[in-house]
Amino acid sequence: MISAEHQYQSTIDALHGVAHASVMHSQDERSAIERPLVSIVDDDESVRESLPDLLREFGFAARAFSSAQGFLSSDCIDETRCLILDIAMPGMSGPELQHELKLRRREIPIVFITARSDETIRPGMLEQGAVECLFKPFSDTALLDAVNAALQMN
Amino acid sequence: MTETKNDPTLEASIPTASLESILCTEELQRRPSRPPDYEKENCALVKLVSALADSPSTIFQTLAETIQDITQCDSAGLSLLTRDGKTPHVDGKRFYWPAIAGMWNPHVGGGTPRNFGPCGDVLDQNRTLLFRHFERRYPYLIPVNPAAEECLLVPFYVAGKAVGTIWAIMHSDRRKFDAEDDRVMASLGKFASSAYQAWMHIEELKTEVAERERAEAEVRELASGLEAKIRRLVEANVVGIVMFDLGGAITGANEAFLQMVQYSREDLATGRVRWTDLTPAEWRDRDERAIVELKATGIFQPLEKEYFRKDGSRVPVLLGGALFEGSRNEGVAFILDLSGQKRTQEQLRRSEAFLAEAQRLSQIGSYSWRVATDEITWSDELFRIYELEPPLTPARLRTRVHPEDLTLYEKMVEQARSGGNDFEWQYRLLMPDHSIKYLHAVAHAIRDHDGRLEYIAAVQDVTAGKLMEEARDKARSELAHVARVMSLGTLAASIAHEINQPLSGIVTNASTCQRMLAAAPPNVDGALETARRTIRDANRASEVIRRLRALFSKKETATESVDLNEATREVIALSLSGLQRNQVVVQAELAEDLPTVTADRVQLQQVVLNLLRNGSEAMSTVDDRPRHLVITTERDEGDRVRLSVKDVGVGFDSRAAHRLFEDFYTTKNDGMGIGLSVSKSIIERHHGRLWAAKNDGPGATFSFSIPCRREEGLTSNETGPATRMPSRRDAA
Repeated sequence: MISAEHQYQSTIDALHGVAHASVMHSQDERSAIERPLVSIVDDDESVRESLPDLLREFGFAARAFSSAQGFLSSDCIDETRCLILDIAMPGMSGPELQHELKLRRREIPIVFITARSDETIRPGMLEQGAVECLFKPFSDTALLDAVNAALQMN
Repeated sequence: MTETKNDPTLEASIPTASLESILCTEELQRRPSRPPDYEKENCALVKLVSALADSPSTIFQTLAETIQDITQCDSAGLSLLTRDGKTPHVDGKRFYWPAIAGMWNPHVGGGTPRNFGPCGDVLDQNRTLLFRHFERRYPYLIPVNPAAEECLLVPFYVAGKAVGTIWAIMHSDRRKFDAEDDRVMASLGKFASSAYQAWMHIEELKTEVAERERAEAEVRELASGLEAKIRRLVEANVVGIVMFDLGGAITGANEAFLQMVQYSREDLATGRVRWTDLTPAEWRDRDERAIVELKATGIFQPLEKEYFRKDGSRVPVLLGGALFEGSRNEGVAFILDLSGQKRTQEQLRRSEAFLAEAQRLSQIGSYSWRVATDEITWSDELFRIYELEPPLTPARLRTRVHPEDLTLYEKMVEQARSGGNDFEWQYRLLMPDHSIKYLHAVAHAIRDHDGRLEYIAAVQDVTAGKLMEEARDKARSELAHVARVMSLGTLAASIAHEINQPLSGIVTNASTCQRMLAAAPPNVDGALETARRTIRDANRASEVIRRLRALFSKKETATESVDLNEATREVIALSLSGLQRNQVVVQAELAEDLPTVTADRVQLQQVVLNLLRNGSEAMSTVDDRPRHLVITTERDEGDRVRLSVKDVGVGFDSRAAHRLFEDFYTTKNDGMGIGLSVSKSIIERHHGRLWAAKNDGPGATFSFSIPCRREEGLTSNETGPATRMPSRRDAA
């Protein structure tokens, strides 16, 4: 089941990437090449739909994945300059993916996002190496600040 | 019959002759006396003796005939004093005539009065008298025919006492009586008297002999019956019977005894079975005392001892016995085998011990109570439970009962006394060290054979169980609280999570949309797409809320009888540490006569908890006055109860009062906003009302009022509008 879902999702993700690439290409061929890739991993569909569009408005390349496994099995890991990661997900959670990447020595700056209204978790997340921890719903500027901070880590 | 009555009228009417005029006794001496005829007299005596020997009952008749024969008179007879008309008696009131020979013979059985007649005159003068025509003085003799020309009367003595007369009568003057007649009659009279006495004596002897024979016969019969009975007793072998002598020999024994000691009849015949040898050494003293008793009184009282059986084992026995009458050495004893009784006693003792041990282990005491006499029997364990020593009195028992249970206790005793039904109840004891014991009593009523009421009861010390129960209840209540808080927190978090997801989409899409439209040139297609997503996400959020509300309103409710005061006290106790941390002072003013309410206890407690936390929260910024929280319960109009929580916090804007409970979700993370809304739903499901009012001074008072009883149970479908409320901070 997981592999089938994963395959399906990968296909969707790939289609998104192609679609946006073409859009960007029409806008500014040169900048498209330099645009840093921001990857999003969230099991919530509305986030996967809305966030990439906003990020592209900011001028980033964006790809969305519905699960940690989906991201890990993609070819975007090396390219990704910032990872926007949901904390609570079915299967592998956000922090677990963070740990997994650390094990693989792929230290991508991570901005955690969560729908949980529990601000007490924020210091812990930062301590564990997160660039930022945003609580849904967050403003566009808060997101932009966090992504910029992450890109500066590279 | 010529019996004549002494008729006083006759006496009075007819002048009677004097006694002297009818007597001529002196003439006997003057008349020429005929010579004695000794031969004839001897013959007469022989005849009398023969009569005495052959037929003593005819001796008087023989005497009469003899007198007639010797005196050659016309009639001769005997008069005897009698009381009963038959037997001679010196104190008799009449004379009767037992025997008459000659012409007056037909008058046998007649008689004359003692004090008015010729015989009486003879006895009065105690000598022979000769009468001539005595009917001249004693008219009742006139009808006695033929008339007496002369009558010679001589006293008749028995045992030296004059008890009658013998007499001879001439009805004509054919001859006259003379001195010889007097002498012969006196002589014959003496002889007859002796003969009569001899006869009487013989009669007495005969009676005595007869009586003795009858008595002997009775004794013989009795003896043979008794013997049969004793033989029956011996042979029945119900008890052992032993014939013994004091020297130690057993001279006889029945089968029962032989079986008891397992000896055979042959063993007994050898004479080697001796009771002294059958007796174990430690019982010899007891035997000695019995022998002393036997020698002194002839019997020994039943005593318990043991005998050796033939195989050396011992048999417990009860024996008693006696020496034979007239014997100083031999006697008979009965012996009862007590093995059965001893076994039963031992079993009883063991079962009593078992019961006592079981009662001690299970801490169950028992007692019996005879109601009519107040006779109470307690088991040892019950004494231990009550920590009392005998003797028991109702007053002493009463001192142990917990003062709060005393009324109940007395009511139970009163009911039991008049009732006669089984009963079961729990009560507490207050021990001298101020510890409390919880007792559970179960009593069963029985009637004795006279129909009198008696209770048999078991009383268990359930203190340990009760304390455990209390601890468990406390733990359960704490757990319930934790669960409540947890569920509330979890609910809040999950609601926030569910809502935040679409909110996040809405915010992001709206931002994107804004940027796309602000771009040059505006990306209208992109903006339309993001606007479409925004609407979709908003709908999704709305759907989440709808789903949550549906979920919440369908929550199962449990109804029970709830003491609101008790429920409130629990909540206060559980919240106390948290309230104290916030420097909140809680004052509970709970009405004493508050009726119970039919409600979901946990839900009500959740409301109380929410109101407490709401009040506490409202005072969190208050520093210029004590953070005082007053929680009040009271009866409300229309069989309702009301609970109010009054704080001195920031209060609320009166324009927002109607919205206080409305907003369902709030941005506050501690869930209080939800709390008030939830509280409102709960109270409404209990057909009650929850409202807020501004205080005259600072702060607000939140109250709810619910009916005590409800006919149609809890409503499961909340039909009111979706209630939403802002947080208190927002409201203020």
